[in-house]
Amino acid sequence: MKYQSQAVAKPYFIAAIGLFVGQIIFGLIMGLQYVWGDFLFPEIPFNVARMVHTNLLIVWILFGFMGAAYYLIPEETENELWSPKLALAMFWIFLVAGALTILGYLLVPYARLAELTMNELLPTMGREFLEQPTITKIGIVVVALSFLLNIGMTLLKGRKTVVSLVMVIGLTGLAVFFLFAFYNPDNLVRDKFYWWWVVHLWVEGVWELILGSILAFVLIKTTGVDREVIEKWLYVIIAMTLITGIIGTGHHYYWIGTPEYWQWWGSIFSAMEPIPFFMMTIFAFNMVNKRRRNHPNQAAVLWALGTAVMAFLGAGVWGFMHTLSPVNYYTHGTQITAAHGHMAFYGAYAMIVLTMISYSMPLMNGRKAANSNKSQVVEMWAFWLMTVSMVFITLFLTGAGILQTWMQRYTDTPMSFMEAQDKIALFYWMREFAGLVFLVGLVLYIVSFFVGRNDPEAVVEEKATA
Amino acid sequence: MSEPAAQAVIGEHDRPPGDLAIWIFICAELLVFAVFFASYAFARASHVELFNQWQQTLNRDYALLNTLALITSSYFVVRAIAAVRENRPDTGLRWLLGALAMGALFLAVKSMEYAEHYSHGINLRSNLFFMFYFSLTFFHFMHVLMGMLILGVNAAILRKGGYTAENHRGMETGGSYWHMVDMVWLILFPLVYVMR
Amino acid sequence: MSETFTKSMARNIFYGGSLFFFLLFLALTFDTESALPERDNRQALTEKVALGKRVWEENNCIGCHTLLGEGAYFAPELGNVYKRFGNSTEAIVGFIKSRPENGIPGRRSMPQFNLSDEELEAVAEFLKYASGIDTNNWPPNIQG
Repeated sequence: MKYQSQAVAKPYFIAAIGLFVGQIIFGLIMGLQYVWGDFLFPEIPFNVARMVHTNLLIVWILFGFMGAAYYLIPEETENELWSPKLALAMFWIFLVAGALTILGYLLVPYARLAELTMNELLPTMGREFLEQPTITKIGIVVVALSFLLNIGMTLLKGRKTVVSLVMVIGLTGLAVFFLFAFYNPDNLVRDKFYWWWVVHLWVEGVWELILGSILAFVLIKTTGVDREVIEKWLYVIIAMTLITGIIGTGHHYYWIGTPEYWQWWGSIFSAMEPIPFFMMTIFAFNMVNKRRRNHPNQAAVLWALGTAVMAFLGAGVWGFMHTLSPVNYYTHGTQITAAHGHMAFYGAYAMIVLTMISYSMPLMNGRKAANSNKSQVVEMWAFWLMTVSMVFITLFLTGAGILQTWMQRYTDTPMSFMEAQDKIALFYWMREFAGLVFLVGLVLYIVSFFVGRNDPEAVVEEKATA
Repeated sequence: MSEPAAQAVIGEHDRPPGDLAIWIFICAELLVFAVFFASYAFARASHVELFNQWQQTLNRDYALLNTLALITSSYFVVRAIAAVRENRPDTGLRWLLGALAMGALFLAVKSMEYAEHYSHGINLRSNLFFMFYFSLTFFHFMHVLMGMLILGVNAAILRKGGYTAENHRGMETGGSYWHMVDMVWLILFPLVYVMR
Repeated sequence: MSETFTKSMARNIFYGGSLFFFLLFLALTFDTESALPERDNRQALTEKVALGKRVWEENNCIGCHTLLGEGAYFAPELGNVYKRFGNSTEAIVGFIKSRPENGIPGRRSMPQFNLSDEELEAVAEFLKYASGIDTNNWPPNIQG
């Protein structure tokens, strides 16, 4: 750790992991409710478990992004963070606000929460992923602006590298597009149109810039490949991201009341959205192959490569499977969507945060480069358990989705929704089992922070440069 | 895929003129346009009557004028680069400005065409043919705009003496892009305006 | 070191390309906005429907259901429930009203929201309004 203020990332990462555990617990609750319909009803109905699950996800990823920025921006810009105190203050504010919000979801009926938080003054509650009370949303904006100020000033005062610039552009885009969460028109079509300006332009837009820059950072550090090469490819990747992803937003505009031409524009451009992910995979493997040294933190390298592959599979391949409008007509709103969503989010965003934590935590804990062998082995087990179980979750949901589409949509004698759900229960049980394995992986991941702490750190013999 | 216009420069290098990045980008662009053209063909195959009927209403004179404008402007770009290569940057600048003028003519004529359509209540949503017509031509229009921006930057740099007879890669890069935009039109024009 | 493919060209393509597509997206957005009045059933967007949307949001219906295919996948699509229930707002009201407080043993259960009559009618009107939106013939059939 070159700069003292980088240490501010640590609490962010710890909070991220804690919230991640919460997310998975509620995911398992939901998975069980899929097959045991009134599990925890009426105390925790499905929709409450769901909003806890998704909101925890978003918040832990945000904590992860902020931690990543606090770690890498000072190092890239070669100066201390502008205000570590502000970063720490925002950490607590965000954590407390987040915790209160989740407690609000769990402890009072949602309509009552809306009343208590004066939603009627500026109604923004009740939309997917944006269930937060308006006051929480305002809090998020305040935290985001302070965060941007902090890293912006750090960037301004220091060396401007492509990695740091792209990271800041991505994070700024994140904050700007979040503002659309405040726009909630009565017109349902317009409501949906602009909702996607938050969600799509986040996960298929500016978040990919954040992903790319973190990946580039970790590759520079662990492979020793020339920064110029890595940064050039980063530009190419993010160029393809926005070139395909902006008009690609149209793949959400097929059936929500917007004109038919979106079926053409959306299909053509979103079909190309896998390209940047494919490039990222080639990029990551290539850089590791061309490495000038073996880095002692093999776990971090594994996470980096794994991220590229899983993001490509989950976001790229699974996304492509249902992005063309003739296909989407039948699969829209089915378990196919859930299958893609899970692998994409885990593969791209959960994994890149875990990659960054894997790389930086040892350094923040005083190691020179990496954790002990023992610790890394446990961490790598966790990687494989989580990643493989996620693949199975996705496969089972895909199976469920194909059957659902066949029985409920692509037939002249459609079954009702509930009937079809009953018929695919086996897939849900299998998914739940895979989810349990995922939890085991996550627990192991946490264990990896505590084992081998007093063992010497892993080293590699220096090999001659290729 | 090499343009007759680019032949003059290829002899000197092993690789295409200008920055390789632009060629990767050009290939990507051509791929996208190819997908668009394929979609057009696919849609047309199932709506032949509709497409024929509305295609008749297009103004082929404007399209011809635009085709001539773009071909001429590409020719001017070639002359501009040749002039710079022969150490005559002032002449080169004049050719480049001429190319830009032809580009501007294209934009003006196309805009007039659009204005006429709109005044008759015809737009992107009128029917499947016009959805393609507007999508393809507007997408191309924006590329002409972008190409002109790039050529404009080339002109500004040239004016300040930024290109030499030995090193004018920026002009070759911009020129290559412009030739691509021209070539796309040369496919688009017969496909949308003429072929039945 | 390859001079052929420079970082600054990649950078220019990033900025140029992003701006280009952002502008194109704005143009298409503008066109979409002008197209909406004929498609989005806004003639039916009364104050009651607006209230209904608020009720829909404040009870987080989207947390279990999909609306025009978007939302959660626990419970049925409601964009066409008005039609599925025989073009009847009373049927919708009746269904919501009749949800047992403690659910249906072993089955996926919908909460009893204890909505007022005004709220019930409003949300039914909202769903009727939603069913009138031109969704390009989606969903493929009445089951949603």
